[in-house]
Amino acid sequence: MLSAVVVSALATGSFYTLVALGFALIYGVTRNFNLAHGELLVLAGYTAYWLWKTWALPFVFTFPVAIVASMAVCLALQRLFARLSEPLELNSIVFSFGIAILIQNAMRLCFSGNYRLIRIPTLNHGAGFNALPVSYGQLTLLGLSLGAIALLYLFMYHTYPGKALRATIQNREAAALAGINVAAMGILAFAIGGFFIGLAGPLFGCIHYLYPATGPEATLLAVTLTIFAGVGRLGGIILAGWLLALAESITVLYIGSSWREMIPAALLLGLLALKPRGIFSDDGR
Amino acid sequence: MTAAERPVPYSTAPRERRTAARGGMLLTFVALAALPVVSGQNGYVLQVYTQTLLLASLALAWNVLGISGAVSLGHAAFFGTGAYVSALLSTIQDLSVWITIPLAGVFAAALGMLAGLICMRLRGAYFALATLAFVEIPRVITTNWDNVTQGSLGLVGLPGLPVLHWGDWRLDMAASSTAAYYFVFAYAVMVLCIVGIIQRSSFGLAFQALREEETAALSIGIPVSALRLLALSASAFFAGICGACYAHLVRYIEPGLVYGLYFSAIPMVLAICGGRFTILGPALAALVIYPLDQFVFHPLLPAGHEFLYGLALVLTVLFFPKGFWGYFGRTS
Repeated sequence: MLSAVVVSALATGSFYTLVALGFALIYGVTRNFNLAHGELLVLAGYTAYWLWKTWALPFVFTFPVAIVASMAVCLALQRLFARLSEPLELNSIVFSFGIAILIQNAMRLCFSGNYRLIRIPTLNHGAGFNALPVSYGQLTLLGLSLGAIALLYLFMYHTYPGKALRATIQNREAAALAGINVAAMGILAFAIGGFFIGLAGPLFGCIHYLYPATGPEATLLAVTLTIFAGVGRLGGIILAGWLLALAESITVLYIGSSWREMIPAALLLGLLALKPRGIFSDDGR
Repeated sequence: MTAAERPVPYSTAPRERRTAARGGMLLTFVALAALPVVSGQNGYVLQVYTQTLLLASLALAWNVLGISGAVSLGHAAFFGTGAYVSALLSTIQDLSVWITIPLAGVFAAALGMLAGLICMRLRGAYFALATLAFVEIPRVITTNWDNVTQGSLGLVGLPGLPVLHWGDWRLDMAASSTAAYYFVFAYAVMVLCIVGIIQRSSFGLAFQALREEETAALSIGIPVSALRLLALSASAFFAGICGACYAHLVRYIEPGLVYGLYFSAIPMVLAICGGRFTILGPALAALVIYPLDQFVFHPLLPAGHEFLYGLALVLTVLFFPKGFWGYFGRTS
């Protein structure tokens, strides 16, 4: 029982991490809160659903299309985000809230309000470990998110553009003085953010129902994990994802599944009230 | 007293434009007052405008906070709480709607105070994110407290708006949509007047000071934290009353609706499009955008007509950051 809860929390938490990565990266580099994040994710999910359902494309091959599509959308959005004036963080929130409403209604128009699910039966099959009740789907989630984090880590620590991205996250002015093209870093961040959205979207469509109004849920998750880990601490996000999923499982187990929705919100409020710079920050606020 | 001595925020607009604006205001007021007579028996038009005025009041309520510089993405928390408090008190406790509507405001204000205490140290973007999360709390509690609130099923068959007595004269606002319209109209005008009075008092100047430069405001002795709390609970109070009016107008509420994204988004979109540092802007935006949505876009695109709010918000932020009324009205 307990091992099942932990395994499922690890898998769900890994998925949460995938959901949050793009948001965290875009915020870290450009100081733009992209509240349309959840809607972009759901849009990528719908893209995969549409390819899988109407074109009978194998699920694996929906990923490249979803990734390219959401990178394109993110790059287009970046052009608009770049026009915002100070205070950047607040204006980006208001602006992206508007974009979220736009995308939500566009999806309602194109895909109707029905609940959709990408059904992949093999993902629910047990992976055949007797001791540990793990399904292929859970292994996929764990593998994908750890792989994505590792890839991002390699990129951020071992390539020049990655190091430049980290420098921009740490200090925009100093990075610019050192000759880093900060504007280009913003474009790069949106491109990578789009990549992760395109990766997480189809998965969202196969473990969670797709419907136009479900975006804000994913956005709230991404905001919570980003604030939890603190700006630019991408490694903290996976820990945050696991902890959140564990907290949710415990809530479902002991209090009731209907209280689960309150956990990310309560966590975010608590974090903002006590440690708005992330759980790893040493300053008191 | 000359214009320069007046202790009120000045308009930067030239005098002729201000005169034109005042004329426009008067005309709008008269047009709204005459609407039930003009629209005759067309119930739909009246219904849309009743809702318009309710949303205008909600946007004005939002802007009580907005004018002090904060952006809330979670006013549905107060709207929904107001709706549920009034609905429950009037059905379970059998209280008169005349009493439950103000009580709904009081409960919402208390919730606003709580939100304000939690978000005490947060500014700007972080405050906005906190309000986004805060709205989940009353929603989940209402959904789960199902032996009282019926949970996600919602409450049906709520009492309508009250009956007005004046000697022999009797006006049943639940039965007459014209009377309901004037009830909401009166509330909208009342909120507008209160907002106007607050903003032109020394409170208004203090809100303006803490919006522009908080440290400086604090250093000249403005009680910044207390004012923030006051602005949030006053805003929640009026939003809660809007929610209560909604509950008794529509006579059906459910958590997903009254705590939903719609009632968080609408007041923010209207206030920002109208001009969030203006007194009239939010109400004017409601008068333009909601009927446009209902009469033009809803018939055209029944599924996605609400894209209009997103589009209006995006265009405002990109091209008219001061909002529509901010360009030629009185900015405070």
